[in-house]
Amino acid sequence: MAGTGRAALHDDAVLRVVDLVVEYPLDRKNVVHAVSGVTFDIQKGTTLGIVGESGCGKTTVGRAIMQLERPTSGSVELDGADVTQMTRRELRAARRSMQMIFQDPVSSLNPSRRVKDLVREGLEVWGLSEADMPPGRIDDLMASVGLGGPAVGERRPHEFSGGQCQRIRIARALVTDPEVLILDEPASALDVSVQAQILNLLEDLKEEFGLTMLFISHDLAVVRNVSDRVMVMYLGKVCEIAPNSSLFDQPTHPYTRALLASIPGHQLDLPPAAELISGEIPSPIDPPSGCRFRTRCPHATERCAAEEPTLVETSPGHFTACHYPHH
Amino acid sequence: MAPVDATAVLNDVGERAAVSPSADIASTGASQSTPPPRALGVTFWLAAGWIAVLLFVAVFADLLPVRDPDALGIRTREVEKFERPGWNAPFGGDGVGHDQFARVIAGTRPALIIGISVTLIGGLIGMAVGLASGYLRGKLDAVSALLIDMALAFPGLVLVIAVRAAFGNSIYVFVALFSVASVPAYARIVRGATLSLSERAFVDVAQAMGASKLRILWRELAPNIAVPALAFAFIGFALVIVAEGGLAFVGLSLDQITWGQLIADGTGEINEHPHVSLIPATVMFLTILSFNLVGDGIRSHFAPREVATRRRFRTEGPPSPSSGGSTLRVDQLRTTLHTQSGDVRVVDDVSFELDAGDCLAIVGESGSGKTMMLRSIVGAFALADVTRSGTVEVEGTDMLRIAPDELRSVLGSHIGMVPQNPLTALNPVRRIETQIIEPMRAHRSISKSQARAEALELMQHVGIPDPERRLRDYPHQLSGGMRQRITIAIALANQPKLLLADEPTTALDVTVQDQILRLLLGLQRDLEMAMILVTHDLAVVRGFADRVAIAYGGQLVESGTIERIFNDPKHRYTAALLSSVPDLELEPHSRLVTIEGQPPPLIDPSPGCRFAPRCPAATDLCHTTEPERTDDEDRWFRCHFPVTGDAEIETAGSRSTRPADAIRAETQGVN
Amino acid sequence: MLLVARRLVRLTIVLLAVTFFTFFLLDRSPGDPAAALAGENATEEVIEQKRAELGLDRPLVERYVDWLGGAVQLDFGDSIVTAGLSSWDLIRESLPKTLELMILAELMAIAISVPLAMASATRPGGLVDRMASSTAFGLLALPSFVLGIYLAFVFGVHLGWFPTIVNRLPGLNDDPLENLRQMFLPSLTLALNLVAVYHRLLRSDLIETLQEDFVVLAQVRGLSDRRIMWRHVLRPSSLNFTTAVGLNVAGLIGGALIIEVLFSINGMGRLVIESVVLEDFNVVAAVVALLTVGYVTMNFVVDLLYSVLDPRIRHGAR
Ligand SMILES: Nc1ncnc2c1ncn2[C@@H]1O[C@H](COP(=O)(O)OP(=O)(O)OP(=O)(O)O)[C@@H](O)[C@H]1O
Ligand code: SF4
Ligand code: SF4
Ligand SMILES: [Mg+2]
Repeated sequence: MAGTGRAALHDDAVLRVVDLVVEYPLDRKNVVHAVSGVTFDIQKGTTLGIVGESGCGKTTVGRAIMQLERPTSGSVELDGADVTQMTRRELRAARRSMQMIFQDPVSSLNPSRRVKDLVREGLEVWGLSEADMPPGRIDDLMASVGLGGPAVGERRPHEFSGGQCQRIRIARALVTDPEVLILDEPASALDVSVQAQILNLLEDLKEEFGLTMLFISHDLAVVRNVSDRVMVMYLGKVCEIAPNSSLFDQPTHPYTRALLASIPGHQLDLPPAAELISGEIPSPIDPPSGCRFRTRCPHATERCAAEEPTLVETSPGHFTACHYPHH
Repeated sequence: MAPVDATAVLNDVGERAAVSPSADIASTGASQSTPPPRALGVTFWLAAGWIAVLLFVAVFADLLPVRDPDALGIRTREVEKFERPGWNAPFGGDGVGHDQFARVIAGTRPALIIGISVTLIGGLIGMAVGLASGYLRGKLDAVSALLIDMALAFPGLVLVIAVRAAFGNSIYVFVALFSVASVPAYARIVRGATLSLSERAFVDVAQAMGASKLRILWRELAPNIAVPALAFAFIGFALVIVAEGGLAFVGLSLDQITWGQLIADGTGEINEHPHVSLIPATVMFLTILSFNLVGDGIRSHFAPREVATRRRFRTEGPPSPSSGGSTLRVDQLRTTLHTQSGDVRVVDDVSFELDAGDCLAIVGESGSGKTMMLRSIVGAFALADVTRSGTVEVEGTDMLRIAPDELRSVLGSHIGMVPQNPLTALNPVRRIETQIIEPMRAHRSISKSQARAEALELMQHVGIPDPERRLRDYPHQLSGGMRQRITIAIALANQPKLLLADEPTTALDVTVQDQILRLLLGLQRDLEMAMILVTHDLAVVRGFADRVAIAYGGQLVESGTIERIFNDPKHRYTAALLSSVPDLELEPHSRLVTIEGQPPPLIDPSPGCRFAPRCPAATDLCHTTEPERTDDEDRWFRCHFPVTGDAEIETAGSRSTRPADAIRAETQGVN
Repeated sequence: MLLVARRLVRLTIVLLAVTFFTFFLLDRSPGDPAAALAGENATEEVIEQKRAELGLDRPLVERYVDWLGGAVQLDFGDSIVTAGLSSWDLIRESLPKTLELMILAELMAIAISVPLAMASATRPGGLVDRMASSTAFGLLALPSFVLGIYLAFVFGVHLGWFPTIVNRLPGLNDDPLENLRQMFLPSLTLALNLVAVYHRLLRSDLIETLQEDFVVLAQVRGLSDRRIMWRHVLRPSSLNFTTAVGLNVAGLIGGALIIEVLFSINGMGRLVIESVVLEDFNVVAAVVALLTVGYVTMNFVVDLLYSVLDPRIRHGAR
């Protein structure tokens, strides 16, 4: 799994992340290696999905892009400007064009404030008021996310269901007209029947506002549904990054194949998961040398322990970081 | 502070007060909203009334028609020395014939002035310090933590006496001293609450939106701290009154009449003339009680908690005649939870039967009552007020109507339960060994070493490497998958006939989920157990079960074999649910079928079909009449207008299924 | 080990700050022990001489360093006021009574509150719980001096069962019955305030634990309620309770003082008040140092207990 592979980058990317490393100091001796050299980019108007098991660093990638976590090293370029090098003031300006939606819709909303104020806040932070916006902008936005009606704005978050809270969050993120939207498990905390509403809504908004999206999820079926490209992560590293259908139809990285084979009742042409993976994810405090997947990989050799694989293009646009990719 | 005895406590109570609202909000599920503000009871208003009276008295003390508190009864002859309370002097007279009533009234003003100013000054400074050090952290926090530490370690008493000796006994000295002394307490509480709030997502959200730190402190954090801080301020107010009293008591009172002083003066006479100190003591007690009550009321009003207030289990109605034979028979089971917000009908007319070797999956959305169906079978509700009716029979025993002792023995020997979250399901402070052996020793006469040997065997059976060592471990030392294997081992400890698994893999990663489900199904088959597998994940059902029941709004709406249900759903909800879930076989960016609206409330559910408010095919009949159960080959459903053809509603009918048998064949090698 | 070292450093800082602050405070006080000792009619010269004799004419810092030098060798200096007695003598005389009072109170409080909290938590909202909870709430609002007066009135004056003042207290070894009889009301007064706190704390933690998954599962395994309460619920619920018991020691000292005045016990409380008022620097600083060490030690003990009670803390997993 590569920290160094830049092969997959495009020239016309809106968001570009290069060699991103995020480490959390645990105590004097130990460090949690949450993200260890991740490189990817997203082209305008497309959605990149990040999948991986818990603890693989997908949420940290999102937070580091937003600079909620200061990266240990690496760069995050938004329209060519590196946000990790920005002054506080520049960063505040840059945040106007990046917004993030978090997993838990309920705790993402300040319980003591009214919905209207919550949505309007995005403007206030920038010293704008509703008057600076086209008339009815807030109402339109609320209607766009399916929360029309005059009384809605006066209520407080606890009066809404999880799905509605997530809609409020989305309206709030869109009010500053962002270019990039980062979604961290936006539908995972919701009921199955409500999840579909939110996924459809996001697809509509992407069209309507020309959004570029980073969609983080552990649910492969959801990622399959919303993404143009998909990146698979394991223990802080990129395993595979490929166009949606290519990844699901011809997975080449042993971990991707194991992940897909583990989906109950899948119809893919894969051996049973038990033959593709064993054991559990090791601790990110002391990750394995070489390829981080080697402790669970049935194909691992000595080379995998000694040498870290880099991203290689196995078919057009399809990149894999494995010494022995599946063909 | 002199009488600090209550301080430590109230600190603690206050700390919980400060933290709990956030915790409450955090703990409510995604689709549930917090309960409405709890009404303020009579005691609250009585207490508030008492405080209002005190305020009135303090403001208008000079205008009230009472005697001069300093007039000596010995001289004026209006009040006798130690006069008993009566018409002349309602609170009696003291040792020199002062009118105690007038003196108690005179003591009101200093009490309130001290209380209010100390609370305001100390509280506001403490709140600012606590907010800043809790949110900004870093050096500021370290320094204030050290200072708070010192302040708490320094015997407050010495400080008070020394300052009092150095600067005199005016009310200003007292206010200044106690304001300073109360800062650490407020700071500590606010800091704790701020810390826990800062971890919540909305602070991150504000930061991500580009809000400045100051704005976050002021707009996001402060309003959420305000209510708990206000609640604590009332309690803090009471503490100041106590402190003043304590000082007066050790002979360091103010230069004016205070309640503490009155009480202290009277104690010498407690044997002969108890009223002299008892009456002011009672006034002080009522005042403190009122402030505490109001503080407590504010807290529970703004941070209402669905606290379990009772623990009561009842069974209503007669059982249905036993048919015998099956491992588990559930017939017309109804379970109602009586809560503060009303009666929640968590399980409503549920029936099914399981034989040895059967595996039924119950699938449904969050809040559809799946967990409650399992809990109703075993009668485990923690703290709740529950009524059940209908029949639950395990191996012919009526689980709803047997004596507690018998119930325990059936539970222990016939039923095993695998929980959703293996971390919370294992006792964090007990070793794995103790936890596996406990149910064996509770229900079988078996020696400790024998039980240990069995435990080792079980652990090998559920695939735990190096079981000898693991026996000595505590749960937190194991990985998620290993913990779940342990809970499975515990469930199997007494060779149960019925295994109840409540979302056994929801808390696990998908690659581990596969391992655990295969293990469970392999064991179920090998040991010929009947099993219920509760899940919200349709893929799990499709991949692993042979029969499925769909739960909605506390009911089962359709049930049958996997092939029948997935290929040809009849109930409208089943059909919509199946097609609203994203699936690997769908093309990317295909539009999902949605179900509008929200899952139904279980308090006062609408009559008729529970799905009617969201069902596109609903008619008046659906809204008024509950659909009867319709039996079809391999399945049954409850719908007035079942789905008839594939054309009518987009279903997952075209997706083929892999029979569970195929999976089982695969699992054979694994275990 | 590192943790212990860090704590010791912290304790030293706190001790230095606290004792110096004591010297500083007393120095600022208007009273003059030299003048007091010299008698009312003493001339200025006599007072000066007395002051020099006591070493009070030297600068504050010098006196403090002096005291500190002795203190590290456990010599806390002589009492300035009570001739011929060292600070330590005075403390040794009064400490046992206060300690007895505090320990008796803690024991009574624990003995009452633990079973009561368990009864409350078993059936929250039941009769026992409602009575216990509202009594506890009432007790919380009773300052110890008010409670003491009530108790003295009921048990001492009205029923006449126990003495309302402690008079020539016999040693616990000499006449344990009489000793306990005299100490009963003071200890109970102090204990009841604690009961209120402990009950409230332990009850809510027990209720919280009772709703944990592992308790529900223990029920499903057919274990008896008693066993569940004692073996599964009590220990994980006792962390806050332990903190309260441990850290209350600081609060207890304040409470004990008032009780001592109320029931005329010659304990540390008396000593503190008198020494502060008479500006007996050495004694006050010694008492402050002692109390601080006690408080910090209790803190440390609580932390140790934590790791005994909860293996997650022992293994640094929390
Ligand atoms: N102690 C309780 N007091 C009041 N209501 C409760 C209690 N426990 C559960 N409920 C309610 O009972 C209903 C059914 O809950 P249950 O936990 O059985 O649903 P579930 O289908 O298992 O959901 P999930 O998928 O979230 O586990 C829900 O509406 C829930 O809010
Ligand atoms: S084959 Fe080697 S490099 Fe590839 S995933 Fe397995 S361990 Fe890693
Ligand atoms: S009974 Fe009526 S409302 Fe209910 S699912 Fe069937 S058609 Fe819809
Ligand atoms: Mg559940």
